[in-house]
Amino acid sequence: MKKYIITISILILFFCSLVSTLGITGQTTERKNLSIRDATGRSVEVRLPVKRLVVLTSDALEIIRALGAEDLVAGVYSDIADDPLFWPKLKDKPKVGSWKGLNYELVVELNPDAVLCYAQRPGRDMEKKLKPFGIQVIRLDFFKLDSLEKEVETLGRILEKEKEARELTAWYRYHLNHMREMLRNVTRRPDVYIEGDSNYHTTGPGSGGHSMCALAGGHNVASNLSIPYPEVTPEWILMRDPNVIVKVTTRSTCDTCYTMTGVGALKNIRNKIMARPAWDHIGAVKEGRIYVIANEIWTGPRAIIGTSYLAKWFYPDFLKAFDPETLHKAYLENFQGIKYQGVYVYPN
Amino acid sequence: MCIQIEEFRDFYMQDICEQYKDFSTRKLFFIFLLVVVLFGVVLIALSQGASSVGFFESFKALFGQKTGLAHAIVWKLRLPRIVMAILVGCGLALAGSVFQAILKNPLASPYTLGIASSSGFGAVVAIIFGGSYYSQYLIAGSAFFFALLASLLILGIARFKSATPETMILAGIAIMFLFSSLSSLLQYMGTVEEVHEIVFWFFGSLSKVGWKEIGVASAMILLPVPVMLRWSWDFNLLAAGDESAKALGVNVTRIRMFGVIFASLITAAAICFTGVIGFIGLVAPHIARMVIGGDHWFLLPASALIGGILVLAADTLGRTCWAPQVIPLGIVTSFIGVPFFFYLLMKKKREYW
Repeated sequence: MKKYIITISILILFFCSLVSTLGITGQTTERKNLSIRDATGRSVEVRLPVKRLVVLTSDALEIIRALGAEDLVAGVYSDIADDPLFWPKLKDKPKVGSWKGLNYELVVELNPDAVLCYAQRPGRDMEKKLKPFGIQVIRLDFFKLDSLEKEVETLGRILEKEKEARELTAWYRYHLNHMREMLRNVTRRPDVYIEGDSNYHTTGPGSGGHSMCALAGGHNVASNLSIPYPEVTPEWILMRDPNVIVKVTTRSTCDTCYTMTGVGALKNIRNKIMARPAWDHIGAVKEGRIYVIANEIWTGPRAIIGTSYLAKWFYPDFLKAFDPETLHKAYLENFQGIKYQGVYVYPN
Repeated sequence: MCIQIEEFRDFYMQDICEQYKDFSTRKLFFIFLLVVVLFGVVLIALSQGASSVGFFESFKALFGQKTGLAHAIVWKLRLPRIVMAILVGCGLALAGSVFQAILKNPLASPYTLGIASSSGFGAVVAIIFGGSYYSQYLIAGSAFFFALLASLLILGIARFKSATPETMILAGIAIMFLFSSLSSLLQYMGTVEEVHEIVFWFFGSLSKVGWKEIGVASAMILLPVPVMLRWSWDFNLLAAGDESAKALGVNVTRIRMFGVIFASLITAAAICFTGVIGFIGLVAPHIARMVIGGDHWFLLPASALIGGILVLAADTLGRTCWAPQVIPLGIVTSFIGVPFFFYLLMKKKREYW
């Protein structure tokens, strides 16, 4: 008797689960699937439509706003609170964590269609954890100039904002071509030393800064090194005798650039570089061609603006009429819908 | 009979005295040898670099002309690096031997007592919260402050209970864990660039030091040295046990307290400008002890010299073997220190500790 009950109940359970899985698969086949190549280079199926998003990176958030998809954002990365003026409409959205890790319960509660994050961070376990809840993970970087256009197109297709994505990529392409056009006739490329936030840490091949420098018509003195962010000796820099020195700085050294009013912090950084021991023997220091640039317009969606500044600094005589600031202004006002303000470079 | 014994004693006393002298000469010779080696490494370091300034040019620049590129390279770039490397190595080795003596533990080092991890935490605090005031001096100052704070914490705990080695080591290990998790917490909160900076700081680097930093560091490292040397006999007696040392007139508690303070001061001065290069503090005293034994009068200078040689050699190797990329100092010191240490450990037949 007992045996029968068990068998029957097992059978009932089996049918129930069969029906339910059929039901789910039936539902998914009704929805449209989109095959994309993400930032890791893998081909990923994305279920459409994607109407609710949790965004873990500021780069992706900027692109989403440029595509006019701000209202699809359901949750944001926590550090957004540091820059409220730049994100007037998104600053109060639920904050779920960052690329270093996120609050899964909160994400599940927000019930988004997808979470948008970097190629490598957070790690792969995120997919595993979110899959049971039907939340997809879309990995797009938006910080490499080389792949930016492709990624914008991909996101445009996912969010069904193809037209806006085309406008943005057209804008990028126009200005990149414009810059290439302007630099076509330059003959002697200046030697450039680029330094990141940490002193004496430069950017070699494989880094975003290296490709930006090449695009702007400069010759990176670290171009034959073998790692992307190596430490080098001051003596080596002295020997390479760069014509231009570019120092990239982040929030840790200057407050958020959007709210900054004076050039004091950036000027301070520049003075410190000029005062480094024995650096008065470097051509760039002798001629005062040391430029400080904020990370906001360095690698990322605004890399094109940073690159424009580089070109301007590399060829000051040649590009006299070229003004990267108007480019930046146009980008913030037309694509981001916010007022242009802040300090991003020194000296301008 | 009586006369015989006295003669006998005289004979052996003489022998012991001579033996001691003989030992001392050998130890002095070893220290002299270390000085020669250090001098040799300095010469090599001085003539190596990215520029074409070679062996003879560097000497010409060192003593001859007062201007020009070669002068600037030798005086402003190479020499500060060399001096700082030696200072840091000496300081860490000295601090390590003092810690090992007063705690009577072969594993004691600036790491064990949490000094290194707390000064690391100080650097992390400065990097994350420094804001627009963030600078090298802020990092160094904060690292220094937290290193001393850790040692004061240990002393406070030791005072409450009793200043036994066990209490201090346990307190130190607890403090080490506390500060490293605090550092991790702040790293977790930091941005990509801040995390980078922190990682680089923990690697250790001599690129950022100039003469000003050397002035500050050398004052703090060299001032306690005479006191340490004066206490070297007390350190020797501590090895016989607290009770015996007390019976022989050593103020054990005082030595231990001030020893911790001085050694922490030296450690803090050594690492606050350069980042954590902790391994030297553990290994240099052992290398010295394996060769010349446990008499601190000789052990302290010998281990300081070994520390200086190791750090300078490591830095020179790190900046030349994969030039122009620099392999971080903290990594290279382990690479050359560990095999050497193993070699001595295998070669030594008797128990040396």
